[in-house]
Amino acid sequence: MLYPIEREMMKSVGILTTGVLLLMAPLARGERIDFSRQIRPILSKNCFACHGPDEKKRKAKLRLDTREGATGERKGGPAIVPGKSAESEFYLRITHSDPEEIMPPKKSKHELNAAEIGLLKGWIDGGAKYDEHWAFVKPVRPELPKVQNGEWPRNAIDHFILARLENEKLRPMGEAGRRVLIRRLSFDLTGLPPSRAQISEFLNDQSKDAYEKLVDRVLASPHYGERWARMWMDLARYADTQGYEKDNTRTMWPWRDWVIKAFNDDMPYDQFTIEQLAGDLLPEASSQQVLATAFHRNTMTNTEGGTTDEEWRVAAVKDRIDTTGLIWLGLSVGCAKCHSHKYDPISQTEYYQLYDFLNQSADADRGGDDPKRALPSPFYLSQHAELAQRVDKLRSKLAGLSGEQAALKAEFAKLSRELNDKVMKMKPPAIPVMQELPPNGKRKTHVLVKGDFQSPGTPVTAGVPKSLHAWPSQGPMNRVGLARWLVSEENPLTARVTVNRIWARLFGIGMVETEEDLGTQGELPTHPELLDWLAVEFRETHKWSLKKLCKTMVMSATYRQSSQIKDSARERDPRNRLLARGPRFRLEAEMIRDQALAVSGLLSRKMYGPPVMPLQPEGIWKTVYNGSNWRTSKGEDRHRRGLYTFAKRTSAYPSFLLMDAGSGEVCLPRRIRTNTPTAALVTLNDPVFTEAAQALARRVVAEGKDQRVAARLAFAFELVTGRLVQEVEMAAMLRLYEDQFKHYLEDGKAAMAIASNPIGPLPEGVPVTELAVLTVIANVLLNMDEILTKG
Amino acid sequence: MTENERYLQALTRRHFLTRCGVGLGGAALANMMGNLAQAEEPRVHNPLAPRMGTLPAKAKNIIYLHMAGSPTQLELFDYKPELKKFDGKICPKEYLDGKRFAFIQPGKNPVMMGPLFEFKQHGKGDTWISELLPHLASQADELCVIRSMSTTQFNHSPAQLLLHTGDPRFGSPSMGSWVTYGLGSENENLPGFVVLASGGRTPSAGKSVWGSGYLSSVYQGTQCRNTGDPVLYLSNPDGLDRKTRRRQLDALRELNEAQHRAIGDPETIARIAQYELTYRMQTAAAKVMDISKEPKHVLEMYGAQPGVKSTADTKNVGDKPLAAASDPAFANNCLLARRLVESGVRFVQLYDWGWDHHGSSQPEDMKTHLPVKTRQIDRPIAALIKDLKQRGLLDETLIVWGGEFGRTPMRENRGGRYGTFVGRDHHPFAFTMWMAGGGIKGGLNFGATDDIGYYPSEDPMGVRDLQATILHQLGLDPFKLGVVRSGLNSRLIGPTEEGKVRKEILG
Repeated sequence: MLYPIEREMMKSVGILTTGVLLLMAPLARGERIDFSRQIRPILSKNCFACHGPDEKKRKAKLRLDTREGATGERKGGPAIVPGKSAESEFYLRITHSDPEEIMPPKKSKHELNAAEIGLLKGWIDGGAKYDEHWAFVKPVRPELPKVQNGEWPRNAIDHFILARLENEKLRPMGEAGRRVLIRRLSFDLTGLPPSRAQISEFLNDQSKDAYEKLVDRVLASPHYGERWARMWMDLARYADTQGYEKDNTRTMWPWRDWVIKAFNDDMPYDQFTIEQLAGDLLPEASSQQVLATAFHRNTMTNTEGGTTDEEWRVAAVKDRIDTTGLIWLGLSVGCAKCHSHKYDPISQTEYYQLYDFLNQSADADRGGDDPKRALPSPFYLSQHAELAQRVDKLRSKLAGLSGEQAALKAEFAKLSRELNDKVMKMKPPAIPVMQELPPNGKRKTHVLVKGDFQSPGTPVTAGVPKSLHAWPSQGPMNRVGLARWLVSEENPLTARVTVNRIWARLFGIGMVETEEDLGTQGELPTHPELLDWLAVEFRETHKWSLKKLCKTMVMSATYRQSSQIKDSARERDPRNRLLARGPRFRLEAEMIRDQALAVSGLLSRKMYGPPVMPLQPEGIWKTVYNGSNWRTSKGEDRHRRGLYTFAKRTSAYPSFLLMDAGSGEVCLPRRIRTNTPTAALVTLNDPVFTEAAQALARRVVAEGKDQRVAARLAFAFELVTGRLVQEVEMAAMLRLYEDQFKHYLEDGKAAMAIASNPIGPLPEGVPVTELAVLTVIANVLLNMDEILTKG
Repeated sequence: MTENERYLQALTRRHFLTRCGVGLGGAALANMMGNLAQAEEPRVHNPLAPRMGTLPAKAKNIIYLHMAGSPTQLELFDYKPELKKFDGKICPKEYLDGKRFAFIQPGKNPVMMGPLFEFKQHGKGDTWISELLPHLASQADELCVIRSMSTTQFNHSPAQLLLHTGDPRFGSPSMGSWVTYGLGSENENLPGFVVLASGGRTPSAGKSVWGSGYLSSVYQGTQCRNTGDPVLYLSNPDGLDRKTRRRQLDALRELNEAQHRAIGDPETIARIAQYELTYRMQTAAAKVMDISKEPKHVLEMYGAQPGVKSTADTKNVGDKPLAAASDPAFANNCLLARRLVESGVRFVQLYDWGWDHHGSSQPEDMKTHLPVKTRQIDRPIAALIKDLKQRGLLDETLIVWGGEFGRTPMRENRGGRYGTFVGRDHHPFAFTMWMAGGGIKGGLNFGATDDIGYYPSEDPMGVRDLQATILHQLGLDPFKLGVVRSGLNSRLIGPTEEGKVRKEILG
C-alpha cells in the first residue's frame, strides 16, 4: 500500500513497529506449515481477487481458494502438484523471471517477498493441505495450556493469556489497587464511575471474596443495561429520526428501553437474538416480543420528494442483511450484493437467498413507517405501575377516612377517580415493528444485477450460504428459522463474534481486532484457543448469559492487573494485545459526559422514556426541513445519561460525534478511538462540562466538612478521581488556586460569570471568588488523562 | 526511571513549550521521543502530518463550492437557443418514458421551457455565460466549463453522497477526508478539512457529506460556523480568559505528568501534547476566522460584511429560507476560504443552500429567486479567483463549482399543474460544473449537450471522472487511494474502473 494505512485498519498481522513481536500465535520450530494462519493470508491477499470465489472475476478458470481448484487437472497440468513444487505451474509462475509471466502480475500491484515464496514452497512440498478458514470451523473447548507460574491464574482465561506471555518472555502485572479496580469495573459494566458510598463499601470489605461480591453488585445495577444498550444501539444503527434528507422524528425509543431491560434481565443471547429478529413470528408472541422486532425497523426511511418507495425498501432490506451479517456472523456479507464475494465464500445468489428471508416483511419505506404497533414499553409499564400504585394508595386512604370528614372524602374520591381515568387512558406510542406479509402476498425475490433494484435477475428462494453450517432439516424457512440458525449450536461464528465483541469492550481491542470481520480477510486472533474456550463456555456453560460471560472475564487475573507499563512490555507490545498489563484506554464519549455529570452530582439516574435534549450549541440543527427544533430539556432531563440524548441522523449530538460516536446511519461495529484537539475542546469548553465544573465546585463547598482550601481541593480531587490526592498533585492545584484567587479578586465580573453561567445564581453565603476558583480547578480535574481514561 | 521519564524530567516547562512550539503536535512529539512514546491509540505517524501524494501534484489545496439543491445549467452556463423554440410545447414522450424524476410524474407530461435569461460569450474561449453572472464572466479565461456532467442519482441526498463520498449510501468517507488522509494538513494548528455552510441550511445528506465514513474520525470535516464559535467549543467559557486557560493547562500538565510517572503510559504524553495543540488551535482558528481585519478594499471586492448575520437563518417562507441579495454569508465564506488555504488548510468545502428551483414556492422561483442567489455568489466567486491569482495562489489552489445534478429542460408541473412560480425538476442526465486554477486549463469549454440540453453529446463526464481528476490534480492516484476493508480496496472513485482522469482538461 502506498498510502499510510491506519493500524486499526490493517488486516495483515504482525506488522506493527519494528522490534515488536508477531501477534499471531507463534509456531514452534519444525511444526507443519499452517494453512489457515500462514498460507491462506498470502493467497487471499495476492491471488483471490482473480483466482478466488468470485466466478465473474475469475481468470484462466483457475481458483486457488479450494484444493480441488488448485490441484485439479487442467491443460498443461494442475496448478499445484501436492508434494512437488518444482512441477507446480503455480510455483513456477510466482518465481518466474519474465516480468510478463510472473504472478501476481505487475499491474495488480501485488508482489510476493522471498519469505512468502519460501512458505508457499514449503507448503506445496508438504502436501499442499487446505484447512477450512478457522472461523468457519465449529469451536471445541481446548485444553488449558500449561503454565510455569501456577500461582498467577485465577481462572481459565489466565492460563491462555499467561501461556502466551511466558512464551514471549513477558510477565504479567500484579493486581491493581482496589480504587482502580472498582473504577474500572464500574465503567466497564455500567458506564458510570463508582459513587463514594460504593467505593467505601468495597474498601471496607475485609472478606476474601470482596471483589466477587463487588462484581455481583455491579452486575445487578440497573445501569448495567444502559451501558450495554448503548453498545447495542451502535450496532443496531439506532436513531430518533428517519434519516435521509427530511430526517423527520420517529418513535423508536420504546425499543431502546426494551434493550436496556433485556440486558438488565440478562435475557439469554439466543433469545435476545430470536426476539429481535423474529419475535412477531413466535407462537403467541407477547407484546414485548413484537416490540423487540423494532430492531430491524431502525433502518432509514426516505421521504424526499419523488423517491421511489421500492428503491429505498430494497435499500432497507439490504441494510438488514448487512447488519445481521456484521452483528452475528462477523462477516461482511454486504459485498455479495453486487458481485460474488471475492474472498469469503458467499456468492451473489446466496446473498439474495439470505435476502429472501427478510424480503417478506410488510414495511415498504412508507412515510409513516407502517406497520406500527402501540406496545407497552418498559417506560410505559413503569409509569403505569407508578400511577396505579398512587390510585391504590388514595383508595386505601379514602377507606380510612371517617364519616365526619365528608369534604375531604369527596376531594379524595374525586382525585382518585381522575387519576384512575388517567391510568385507563394511558396509551403507549406506536412504534415501527416487523410484520410478515400474508402467505398469499409474499414477494418474489430475484438476484438484483449489480445490486440494482430495477434489474431483477434469476429468481431465488430463502437459503443460507453453503460454506456456513447447514440449515436444520425442520427449521421453518422464515425469519424465525434464520434467527434460530444464527444461534444454533452448529454455528461456528455467533458465539465467537459475541465473545470477541464483549472482550474488546473490556480489554480495549478484540482478540480479533476487526470485530466486524472474522472472515478470511479479518485479522487472525491473538489468542485463538482462548477465543474458542470462551465461545464454548458462553454457549454451553453459561447458556448464552452475557452477565455470566462478563463475570468470567472480570474475575480473571488478566482483567484485574495493574495497568502500569513496564519498559519491556511497552516496547514489545505497545498496544497491549498480549495483556501483560491491565487495560487502559480512553472512555467512550457518553461515559466521559456521564462521568462529569455523576461526580458533580448533576446526573439524573432516571431510566427509560422519550429522548431528551441537553445543552447543545445554537444553530447545530440547520437541516433542510427545519420543522423540528432543538429545545433544551428542563429539569433533570437536561442531565440524563448520554444514551437518552436525542439522536438525529443528519445532525448527531456534536460532542459525541467529536469523540468517535456514530450518526446511526449504518451499523457501527466498533468505535475507533481518536484524540483530536477538537475533542479536547469539548471537555474544556462545552457548556455541559462548564456546568459540571460549576456544580462540582458547589458540591465541594456544600458537602465538604473541612472548609480549609487544601481540604476542599483534596475533596474535589477525590470526588473526581475516586482516590486520594498525592502531594505533587495538591501542589499543582494549590498553585493554580493562588493565581486564580488573585485574578478573580481583581475581576469580580469574570468571577461571577465563571461561577454561574450556565448553571445559575450563586448559592447563598458562598463568596463568588471561592466558587470561581473552584470551578476553574474542577474544569482542570475533569480533563485529566486519568479521568478521560479507564485505569 | 525509564528513558521516557528521564526525557520528560529533562524538559523544564519552558523548554517543553518551546520545543513543542508551533507545528509540533502530539505525534511529532512522540516521534521526538523515539518509539517509546507511541500512543495507545496507535500513531506511529501523526495522521495529519503533511505528506506528498504519489503523483506530481498540480494543486496543494482545494476550494470546493457546492451549490446545494443544484443550480440550473440552462439559465447559467449551458445556452440552448434551440430550446426556446420548443418553449411551451409538450415534452415528447421519448424523453419521459422509463425515466424517473422527483416531481414530474408519468402520464402528466410537462412542457419544455426555454432559457429564462440572456447569455453572452466571454473571454478567449468564447465561453457562454449567463447575464446573471457578470462578475464571474469577467474571469472566463480562468474557467474550464464542463457542460457534459451526469450522475446516476436524482434525489438530493444520494446524489450529494455519491458526489462527495463516492457512494449514494451512507457510510463512506468524503472527498475531503480522503484528501487529508492522503496528504495530511499543512497547518497543525488548524483542522485540515474545513466546511463552511451558508444559505440557512446544511446539505440534504447532512453531515455525512463531510464525514470520515470508515476512515478514522481524525479525517472528518470540521464545520466552521458563521454564528457563535467559528469552531465548535472554540471559545473559553464565559469568565475564563486565556491567561487562566494557560495556568489551567500548566496545572493539568503537572497532574498528567504525575499520572505518567505512576503508570508510564505513553498515551499520557500524547494527551499533554493534544492539549497544547488545542491551546494553539484556539488562537489560530479564532484568528484565521476573523475576517474583520481584512482591508476595506478586499472586503468590498468580495462583498463581505464581517459580523453581519445571515438573513437566511431567520427569514423563512413555509419551511424554506428566503434568500436575500444582501445576505453576505456566502461572500464571507469565500473570503474565509482564501484565508484558510493561505494558512495551509488542505480542503475547504463550501455549501450554499437554496438552489433547488422547482418553481413550487416563492423561495424556489427561478424567475425571481435564481437572480437573488446568483447575486449572492457572483461577485464573491469572481473576487476569490482574482484574489487567489493576485497572491500567486491560484496555480496551487483548485476551485470546483457545481451542484449534485442538473435541472430539466422541461418546466416542472408538480401534481400535473402549473402555478404562479416557474422552475425545473431534478435532471441527473446532464449538468454543468466548472473548475479553475490548480493546473486546470482556463478558458476551456469541455463537453456539450444536445440541442435541448437533455443528454451530453460530446465528451460525457461522470461523477467518477470528476473525482478521479480532482484527486489526480492534488497528486493522489485515484486508483490507489484506498483502504482494504474486508479484502476490498475501498476508494472514493468506487470499486469499478469506470472513472478516468480527464487529461483533456488539464493545463
